[in-house]
Amino acid sequence: MSWIEFAQKNQTLMLDCLVRHIELVCFSVAAGMIISIPLGIFLSRYRKLANPVLSLAGLIQTIPGLVMLGIALVFLGIGMFPALVVLTLYALLPILRNTYTGITEVDKSLIEAARGIGMTGAQILFKVELPLALSSIISGIRISTVYIVSWATLAGLNGAGGLGDLIWTGLATYNSTYILAGAIPSAIMALVFSGLIGIVKRLLTPRGLREVRV
Amino acid sequence: MNLAALTIEHMYIVFIAILISVAVGIALGVIAYWVRIADKFILWTVEILQTIPSLALLAMLMILFGLGNVTMIVGLVLYALMPITRNTHTGLSDVSPFIKDAAKGMGMTRLQRLIKVELPLAFPLIFSGIKIALVNSLSIAVMGVLIGAGGLGYPIYRGIQTLNMKLILSGAIPVVLMALVFDFFMSKIERRLLRRA
Amino acid sequence: MKRRIIITALILVMTLAFAGCSGSDGTVVIGSKDFSENIVLGEIMAQLIEKHTELKVERKLNMGGTFVNFEALKNGDIDIYPEYTGTGLSAHLKMDVINDPDEAYRVVSEEFDKRFGIIWLGPFGLNNTYTLAVSNQVYEKYGVETYSELAGISENLIFGAEHEFFDRQDGYDGLVALYNMKFKGEPKKMNVSLKYQAIGSGDIDVTDAFATDGPILKYNLKILKDDKGFFPPYYAAPIIRKDTLEAHPELEEVLNMLEGRIDDAKMTELNYKVDIENQPVEKVAEEFLKAEGLL
Repeated sequence: MSWIEFAQKNQTLMLDCLVRHIELVCFSVAAGMIISIPLGIFLSRYRKLANPVLSLAGLIQTIPGLVMLGIALVFLGIGMFPALVVLTLYALLPILRNTYTGITEVDKSLIEAARGIGMTGAQILFKVELPLALSSIISGIRISTVYIVSWATLAGLNGAGGLGDLIWTGLATYNSTYILAGAIPSAIMALVFSGLIGIVKRLLTPRGLREVRV
Repeated sequence: MNLAALTIEHMYIVFIAILISVAVGIALGVIAYWVRIADKFILWTVEILQTIPSLALLAMLMILFGLGNVTMIVGLVLYALMPITRNTHTGLSDVSPFIKDAAKGMGMTRLQRLIKVELPLAFPLIFSGIKIALVNSLSIAVMGVLIGAGGLGYPIYRGIQTLNMKLILSGAIPVVLMALVFDFFMSKIERRLLRRA
Repeated sequence: MKRRIIITALILVMTLAFAGCSGSDGTVVIGSKDFSENIVLGEIMAQLIEKHTELKVERKLNMGGTFVNFEALKNGDIDIYPEYTGTGLSAHLKMDVINDPDEAYRVVSEEFDKRFGIIWLGPFGLNNTYTLAVSNQVYEKYGVETYSELAGISENLIFGAEHEFFDRQDGYDGLVALYNMKFKGEPKKMNVSLKYQAIGSGDIDVTDAFATDGPILKYNLKILKDDKGFFPPYYAAPIIRKDTLEAHPELEEVLNMLEGRIDDAKMTELNYKVDIENQPVEKVAEEFLKAEGLL
């Protein structure tokens, strides 16, 4: 039976997997944002720390997803929590790096000007730097999200649920229906999220700053 | 299993994939550059390929091509296309119009201009794309074990199944080391290329 | 200059690609399923063939579940892997359970040859049957000994198993139908290696277990009695492609050296070494073969 018929027949299953997958993505990207954006701002103030911290985050990125999930399995066991820990770690770098570069690339003269008119550090941050860095930060969030939708499929290994579960079942039983039922929705999800965030970015970027290339 | 043999197999799979994707990727980048109507289509396609979750893509390829190294190589090639194709296209597009005119003025055909002027100028950016593709591929290739391919994914997966950290690390450390080493050396070369250009 | 580089690279690619392709004549590919016992059996066969024939062995061990290996065997990606008679009957032939082990062996041999061109060689001796295992807590609380008793309290328990258990004739559906079991909620499906962790941590209460599994001892699980005889016998034996056997008839004699040498107790011992003592599969296989005087 085609995967679409399968999906229709197993609506609860598909819905469960879909919802769980979205949960995994949203929680970990949100957690990533909560950690990375402040951290990125912090690093822009203490630039000497930037290189080592970014390198460390970059190192995490080079570790294959299967390895991180495997290590989480060994130390944290099965379930949603270990998967979220790993996914959050993966979400960090793109957001962190883009926050940092977004802020540090703000034209110095603008900051000077802001200081000149008497803005405090906090005001400069919120009224000048962040708005100008917003486009970059959102790009980072978009990259993270696409990564996480992808890595979350591996989380089926940890018994975390999600569309990956269907793919893993399909791989284990050599059943292409299951594979497609998991693979195609997750591919669509990645594209949809990427597109949505792209639209959000365009809406939030002040017209004067809209870049031609992403 | 012999770790050295697995490491070599891993590199072998990745290198073949990169060689193929360099050939295909640069070709696609050139086509996107030459044929205006095609460019959005090509760039979109390779971007979509990259957005598809890797496990999903590999599983779907397995349905088409069966188990084994060939399927893995196909998957890696598809993933490596975006950085290479996009950087080729950007690199070529960024060539100063004055230089292009000068070449035209010297009587070069489009092909000659491409090979003698534009590609060499775009090379640093293309090389950068190849670097990204290579480093990513080393990591993704670990998943090959799930579709019957070889490489360092084998001890990693076995370690996961038996909750054996040593096994996991015995596969993971070579992969990460290779990624770091290649990234380091290729970044050096990249910087030198940019300086020359 | 650039053109020369491109051409050289292409030639290099093609040479390497073909180098990887060839080597299929003097080579035999051994696969195995993704759990320790099957991997150990695969490794034992591999070492035996390497020692006693001129053939080279390529190992594709730990390659997914039953169905993956069977597909790979059918389309020639692998030549040999260790299979179980019960699995052959139910999962591959989709026939009803046959409880007499000799009859079961006879039927799979005949049918596999006829339908798939696959030959069953001499059984190793072990019967690694599916069993149901409950956690120690469940046993203490309910004192169940048989599957029928389990059915009586099943609505309090969560059932979990690896994906393929739900896909087979001799699996979940048949089991709950025969015994009228109604477990709590939806059964949990997971990777085969996570089962024991799940029952150990209390995420599930009941799981299908393989009789010779090491973790049964580690997690102190209670094996229940299949009082209505749902699960068929699962005698393990090497199965091999007919054309591989015809190309290399010496394989039959070599692999039959293992016939009857690995019974339940022996297999459990080998599994224990790999799973609980974490010894490498190669070492365990080698020591076994040496002890049997086969290496």
